[in-house]
Amino acid sequence: MIYLDHAATTPLDRRVRDAMLPWLDDVDGYGNPASDHALGRRARQAVEQARVQVAALLGAQADEIIFTSGATEANNLALKGALEFRGLQGAHVVTSRIEHKSVLDTCRYLETLGARVSYLTPNAGGVIDAEQVMAALRPDTALVSLMWVNNETGVINPVEQLAPQLRARGVLFHVDAVQAAGRLPIRLDQLPIDLLSVSAHKCYGPKGIGALFVRKRPRARLSPQIHGGGHEQGMRSGTLATHQIVGMGAAFELAAVAQIEDGVRAAPLRDRLWHALQRLPQSQRNGDPARVVPQLLNLSFEGAEGESLRALLPQLAVSSGSACSSATREPSYVLRALGRDDELASSSLRFSLGRATSLAEIDTAAVQVSMAVLRLRALSPLWDEATGAVAVDATALRAEDNVFGYPVPVWQRFSHTAHAGRLPQAPGSFSAQVGSPAARSMLRVDLHLGRSGIETARFQAYGCPVTIAVGEWLAARLQGQSLQDFQVPDAVEIRAALEIGDDKSHCALMGEDVVRALWQQSRQYHEH
Amino acid sequence: MPVYFDNNATTRVDPQVLEAMLPYLSGPHGNASSLHRFGRMARDAVEAARLKVAALVGAQAAEVLWTSGGTESNNLALKGCTAGLKPTRVLYGATEHPAVMEAAESLGDSGWQVEAVAVDQRGVLDWPAFERQLAQGPLRLVSLMRANNETGVIQDIARAAPLVHAAGALLHVDAVQAAGKIPVDFVELGADLMSLSSHKLYGPKGIGALIVGGDVDLAPLHHGGAQERGRRGGTENVAAIVGFGRAAELAVQELGARAAQVQTLRDRLEAGLRAWPRVRIFADGVERIANTVQFGLDGYDGEALLMQLDRKGFAVSSGSACASGKGEPSHVLLGMGIARDIAKGAVRVSFGQDNTAEEVDQFLEVLRTFAAGAA
Repeated sequence: MIYLDHAATTPLDRRVRDAMLPWLDDVDGYGNPASDHALGRRARQAVEQARVQVAALLGAQADEIIFTSGATEANNLALKGALEFRGLQGAHVVTSRIEHKSVLDTCRYLETLGARVSYLTPNAGGVIDAEQVMAALRPDTALVSLMWVNNETGVINPVEQLAPQLRARGVLFHVDAVQAAGRLPIRLDQLPIDLLSVSAHKCYGPKGIGALFVRKRPRARLSPQIHGGGHEQGMRSGTLATHQIVGMGAAFELAAVAQIEDGVRAAPLRDRLWHALQRLPQSQRNGDPARVVPQLLNLSFEGAEGESLRALLPQLAVSSGSACSSATREPSYVLRALGRDDELASSSLRFSLGRATSLAEIDTAAVQVSMAVLRLRALSPLWDEATGAVAVDATALRAEDNVFGYPVPVWQRFSHTAHAGRLPQAPGSFSAQVGSPAARSMLRVDLHLGRSGIETARFQAYGCPVTIAVGEWLAARLQGQSLQDFQVPDAVEIRAALEIGDDKSHCALMGEDVVRALWQQSRQYHEH
Repeated sequence: MPVYFDNNATTRVDPQVLEAMLPYLSGPHGNASSLHRFGRMARDAVEAARLKVAALVGAQAAEVLWTSGGTESNNLALKGCTAGLKPTRVLYGATEHPAVMEAAESLGDSGWQVEAVAVDQRGVLDWPAFERQLAQGPLRLVSLMRANNETGVIQDIARAAPLVHAAGALLHVDAVQAAGKIPVDFVELGADLMSLSSHKLYGPKGIGALIVGGDVDLAPLHHGGAQERGRRGGTENVAAIVGFGRAAELAVQELGARAAQVQTLRDRLEAGLRAWPRVRIFADGVERIANTVQFGLDGYDGEALLMQLDRKGFAVSSGSACASGKGEPSHVLLGMGIARDIAKGAVRVSFGQDNTAEEVDQFLEVLRTFAAGAA
């Protein structure tokens, strides 16, 4: 397995793990850091040391670091806390359409409470310009929230340029620095950012821990969002998880040493991957290459639908968008904000490299991705029209490659498309096509009728693995059928044969539609 | 090597729990929301743990919502069931954990009428007063703890539930101290929401759960991401969740044996304390969890005693760790009508699985020396 999904989460560095373990298994490591006895003090000291380590990477003071359960909580605390403290009603907030869900969803929530939010659209390179932000300010603007580095494209926003300008205007500035920490130098002692969110698990630390930087001078004031006990200067209550905090401290200390070298190592590997995949015609890079962190490469492959692409890459851990939104499998809202259409947005892959990524892994990944893209394009009715078919050796995938858990009959047909292709135009040949590129689903079936029935059937499909499997199943089912006792396979039969669940029932309906269209045509042919 | 008598503040991580966690601290490192193989492995582990935590309290797996701990669970329960509604009233027990009290009181800012329910001098809910409060107009939520973190007093939740429901309100139960110490059944108790914490039952810190009954409409506390079916955003803390699951499983298996063991220690300690004049055991004579004793010494400087015990290597507490360092006497004891000076010097001993009879005897010996020195 090649892991190129470090922007979703990083492996725990062994040194970080070693720093954490004593606080899980030592006889005197388990005290509650809030307790007033020897064990409590020992845990508290460890927490405070970690606070210094986290602050050091950010150029902050230790007492400006508030530990949270992660960056989602930190973003929630920053936005809700700042607005609640200042009074929500009518307050104006400026943010962008490409923020992480935890910022966007929080802004939507704040709108329900009476706040007004401007969502800025990035340029085609994925950048939110400083001028654009300044132009969006209004006299009642209370807060600007902007991510430093976008999690999908890796594009760096000009927060360094913005911070002094916003300070001069007296507008509070929150920066989601989850993807920036450990990848870019952050000097909060020189940069007038008021609030800044970071996460440990994007930085080789543990999951379940993050922090919000809250500036002391001038003081950024927040209302707490989790009450009880008054931990973390009253801004965030709850027992401090010593081992996780120690892990975050260790990870940030390592990052302070390693971040330059990590970037220097990643850039040529990333560029090598891009050069290899650039050879595929019509692959596009998302995000201005001059503004992207060295670890990230986001590409769209026209004609290769994202879900099928991932399914053909069982040995490659990559993301087709933010991990937080892929549960819903909508095309990436970030890429759509960059002006990509639904089709290109849903045919994208995000490669995010890490500290341990090797040259061999990059080369293997490039080959696997190229094969998968060519294979899907060869199956696609769109691609055929545009460029002519590309012959690919469609090696059958193994049952154990079905890592996303498609139904076995779906996987068998998707992984071995013996009936893919088109038939030449000739008397007795029919062809029908349903779906559209915008719907990210197309199915075409060609038939050739002979004396006794359907002599040959072929299909082409663009869409998820289930759509492709429906095409393959239909072509196999139709070929050799006599027309005398022909039963039109309907969606119910298709779903039963391929064990298609409710969430994919639309794929079976496409199958039914394409057969109906063919049946219509063949009956007209016979009547003439 | 200190003697640790502060298991209500936090417990050590059981070695079997740590063993279950280790693969997720070193091996597969997926984000549980990622769709690729590593992500799926993490997802499977999270769901297996959900079943185990559900089994601990007789709930359905789908009713288990992960949080960062008991404090977040309590905040989510109180704020999540009130957000966006026309404000009415919220009640909470006078001896609740600060996380419940302060979360409840914060609702006052958005127009909710927030009232404490009195307890008697034994720490037991004042039932006649409670029933009067229930009848005083529209009510959204009542929050009561199953077992008190300081005195160990067990509240009769099953008696409260039908009264709360008859008043048209939801019942939230803070079961952080009860789970793993006494049987807790979400359905039998009649709870609509229930808070749990991992690090009070030999699991890791930084993870907890809120049990949310199927028909409860809950607004999120953390927005962003589709995790926990949109009710709690944030990347899942996989290792800690797995640890909590294992800890819950062990708690179910060992519940009886654990309770019996700490009961022996508590009986030994209480017998020793009773032999000594001017010792007052709080909530004496009412049903308490078996590991907890809170006591005061009439006529002695309790704070000096706590310092002395710390110096001698005994980890005990005056009350809630979440309220320590503030120099304020316990609100629990004040709520029970205990005088401030006595409450201020209260000592809470909370036993765990590692404690021994010898440690209890050593503790009593130090107390005797202190008393002799102070007399």
